[in-house]
Formats: sequence, structure tokens, C-alpha cells
Amino acid sequence: MNKRFAALALIALSLALAACGQSQPDDSDSTGGTSADEVNLVLAAYTTPREAFAEIIPLFQASWLAETGQTVTFEESYQGSGAQSRAVVEGFEADIVALSLEADVIRIQEAGLLTHDWKAVGADGIMSTSIVAFAVRAGNPLGIADWDDLAAEGVEVLTPNPATSGGAMWNVLALYGAALRGHVDGVPEGDPQAAFEFLKAVLGNVLVMDDSARDSITNYEQGIGAVAITYENEVLVGQQAGTDYELVIPTSTILIQNPVAVVDAYVDEHGTREAAEAFVEFLFTPAAQEVFSRFGLRSIDPQVAAATADQYPPVADLFTIDFFGGWPQARENIFGESGVFNRAIQEVQGQ
Amino acid sequence: MKAILPQARLKARSPELGLRATSFAFILVMVVIPMAVILQDGFKEGAAEFWRQVTLPVAAHAIILTLWTSALMTVINAVMGLLTAFVLVRYAFPGKAILNAIVDLPLAIPTLVTGVMLVILYGPQQALGLFLNQELGFQVIFAPPGIVLALLFITFPFVVRTIQPVLLELDRTQERAAASLGAGAWTTFRRVVFPALALPTLSGSLLSFARAVGEFGSVVIVAGNIPLRSQTAAVYVMGAVESENRLGASAISILLVAIALSVLLLSNALRKRWEAR
Repeated sequence: MNKRFAALALIALSLALAACGQSQPDDSDSTGGTSADEVNLVLAAYTTPREAFAEIIPLFQASWLAETGQTVTFEESYQGSGAQSRAVVEGFEADIVALSLEADVIRIQEAGLLTHDWKAVGADGIMSTSIVAFAVRAGNPLGIADWDDLAAEGVEVLTPNPATSGGAMWNVLALYGAALRGHVDGVPEGDPQAAFEFLKAVLGNVLVMDDSARDSITNYEQGIGAVAITYENEVLVGQQAGTDYELVIPTSTILIQNPVAVVDAYVDEHGTREAAEAFVEFLFTPAAQEVFSRFGLRSIDPQVAAATADQYPPVADLFTIDFFGGWPQARENIFGESGVFNRAIQEVQGQ
Repeated sequence: MKAILPQARLKARSPELGLRATSFAFILVMVVIPMAVILQDGFKEGAAEFWRQVTLPVAAHAIILTLWTSALMTVINAVMGLLTAFVLVRYAFPGKAILNAIVDLPLAIPTLVTGVMLVILYGPQQALGLFLNQELGFQVIFAPPGIVLALLFITFPFVVRTIQPVLLELDRTQERAAASLGAGAWTTFRRVVFPALALPTLSGSLLSFARAVGEFGSVVIVAGNIPLRSQTAAVYVMGAVESENRLGASAISILLVAIALSVLLLSNALRKRWEAR
């Protein structure tokens, strides 16, 4: 028995080692690939735009082939924005990153891998936008119309955990920002203490904090909770897929901005800069923007936005991350160790 | 020393040395070095900072929640595992082979699936979950009972599989003697069988405890993950990693590893004691 086990272990070990040994040449083949008639791009993205990219990439491939005679192949990786960003910093050689929030691009900049002014490309480097909104049950049985309804006694709220989900930070910022801006009943404008109390009231109603926005909406689809704080695009895509929950847009909410950028260090290493930059620019063309808008994302192209305006109603008071002084400040003041969110959750659970 | 020498020379010719070196090297590369990296990471800013990280309210609550749910699970597992092992070894019944195979099933199921399964079964929107919640006021999913259930499921084989071989090899003449002296089945079990199984039960339970402390996949689905309420240590660690708090992540990991290691050492010491009998 023991001998057989040892033999098996040896075989397993040698297989594993052989696999490790082989992956090396494979890697250099696939990531650095560029020649006169072929170029390979590695795209590291967060999960939301996966379906949109599935349509945009063939469009770009056709246009690039017609323009240059070069065939572009893509290797696509999709995972949570934070994890993706960290992977790139740790050496995942992506030519292009498409992430859910600017903070994750800043991390790559701080690692020295991204050196150009990515905000000078396209529409400030933001390829798509959405807003923080609510998913409510069919027919909106609780009559949820705005933020203050989420603080009512006994309303079960779902929102992911901002510690694990970069995207979840948008939700907290939308909620806290709306309160600070005086768009929540009973919270005067510019009163941090009252806004903090309101944040606590909503957090006290949170039933589950999933580790990602997608898990949160999946739980909601399984019938858990009365309201999910989520993104407009998640609700729209869910409805396209046949779910019966409804979208509620609050009076005041934050504009979610999803950045895209070429990673200088890796495109230069692979010799793929030209094609990578062309792809990023292509994402801002009406053709690509139209695809994003079909997958629930608000277009940054004025014409596409105007054409889809009835699908994406305007928000009475729409603010951006600049209201909090940008991402680095928001991370520190709202989500830091002694930030607003942590203090609120401690006070809520301490009661 | 002199007496040992010839024996040592003999050993040098046997494959022991090579095998030992291979296994040590393997353990070093696969287990010790990665652990050392975490250890170094967690203490890179000193013991005071380490202590501060593990005593932050959210972290401390997560650790305590993990420990008490694991401990409760261990107690239940000890009793039910002993019972299951006894039934599997001592009784013949149709379907025994299948039941025996089912015991190991939790090891093969991705723990994430375990979590999803429990939510489907006991979730607030399901018949059973609804009944427990509304009729008995007992919330299972997104509360500690859900954590205990998930841990019970994933660690169930450990106790059963530790007791089974001991029970199989147990000399039954003592039991027959007890019976012939007029002892009832329960007395025989309590006075003769159980003393022989106490240490294996404890050892298997400690093993399941060590496994439970680090569990992530199933717990993240069923716990609810609200800091200071239903967030366990492993889920806290994930949050710390995701929000750039590597130090916190490493510090809590070290504490979990230290707990698991001491429990495993205890479990091994107990195993030695009963093997020495």
C-alpha cells in the first residue's frame, strides 16, 4: 500500500515538474508574439465587459486586418478588478487592462508598469460607465423609490463587501455621497454626521455581504433579500436574461467609470504597442460604444448616448468620484482602517 | 555511539537515506518555505504591529467566530463520527458499501459547491429555511449555524476514518468476556469499547478542527460575511488581501496556522499514545 502510494506520488510529482518545465516555452510563444503579419494581444479585464468584448474584438480584428494586413489574436483573462490589477503588478504580462475602477489602474502605475498619461486617451481613459442603482422584486412590493427606503426597518439589503470587491466601493460611495449631498430625506446637505448615521442605518439592514458584485446579484436572483444595491448594467443584463426584478434609479447616485489602458512595460517588451494602442482607441469608436450600450453600459460617446437615451434615463443628481477628492482620497477616508465605512460597521454591530 | 555505528553503516546502504532526503526536500519546498514566507511577511513590521493586526476589532471578532464555530462542529462531529464508525464496522446491512463510500464524498466535492448546496437547502427562500426561520425563529444561512453546518459537512470523514481502523483491529475477546459476565450492550460499549476509541476520536476531532479553521470556499457562501457579525477569519483574510492589507492578511494567517499546527501536534501525540498501547 505504502509503496504503491509512493510510486503514485513520484509519478504525480514528475508530471507536475514536467508540466512546469513545458510551460516556459509556451509562455514566451504566446505572450510576446509579434511578426509582420501577426500580433498577439493579452487583455486583462474585469468580468462585466466579457460579453461586450466578445463582440468588439472581432470588429477590431477585421478593421485592423483591413488597415494593416496584420492578424490580431487575443488572449483574454477575466476576473475581479482588484485581483486582475494585482496579477498584472505581480507579473501577469497583459498588454491592455480594462478594470472596474481607477484605483486599480493607479496600482499598476505605482508599480512603474504604466507610465503614459492614460487619461489623455479617448474619453479621459474611461471606456464605459454605469450608475449605482437598486434591483427590487417584481412589482416593487415594498415601494422602494430612493435611498431613504433602504434604511426602513426590516428591509433586507444586499451589497457586496467593499474590502473584497472594488466594485462594492461604488455602492458605499453612492449611498454616502447621496446623503452628503442632501438627497436623502432627513439628512441635511453637507452634514457628515447625519450622513454617517444614514450609512449606519442602511448597513444595519444588510443581510449578506458577498465577496463580489456578481455573487451578490446571483444571491439576489436566488430570492435572497428585498433590495440589492448594484449597478444599472447588472440589472439590465439580468433582465435581458429573463429575470423579473426591476431597476430603480435613485435621485442621486455616483457615475461608475471603468478605465482602460495600455500597460507600457509589457507592450514594449512584447513589441505590441501599436496594435494595443489601436485597440484601446477602437474601444472609444461609436462601433464599440454601441456594443457596450447593448450590454447595459452607459456610452461615453455623445451620439451613442443620445441614441440610447430612452434606455438610460438621466439621473437628477449624478456625481463622480471627484466629489470625494478622487480614488486615493476616497480609499483612505472612506475605506481605510479608520475610515467612514469601518467606523460605521463597528458602530452598527456594537449595538 | 560505538554500538550505533555498524547499524548506521548498514542503513547507509539501504534506501532510507535517499527516501528521507527526498521527502524532507519535498516538505521543505512545498510546505515549510511557503509558511516561512507568510511568517516573515506577518512579522516584517514587528511583533507589536502583528499583535495590533490580530486584535483589530473586526479581525479579532472574525477569529473568535471561526474558533467557536469550529469547536462546536468538532464536538458534534466527535459524537456522530464515533457513532457512524461503529455502525459501519460492527453491523452488516444492505447498502453498507455505498454508505461507506459516501462518507468520503465531502472530500471530493469542491467546498464552494457545499456552500451553494446548503443555501439551496436551508436558504431563507427555501421551504426548509423558511420553516426554521418563521416557525422556530432560527436562521441557518447567513448566520453561525450555517457555518457550523458547512464545517460539519466538509470535515465529516476525518473522525470516521480515524476511528474505523482502530475499531476493526479491536480485539473482541474482552467484549465477549464482559458480555459473559452479564454486562449489557451499553455497559460493554461504555466500559470496554469506548476507552479504546477515546483517543482516536479525540485525534480525529482535532484533525477536523484544524481543517475547519482555515475553511474558506463553503463558508464564504453561507456565512453572510458581515464584519463583526458573520465574517470568519478566512474570509477576513481574503478581504485584507483584496484591500492591500498584506500585513493583516499574513498576521491572521499566521495565527490560524499556529492554532492548526498546535492542534495537529496534539492530535499526533494522542495517536502515538494509543499506538503505543
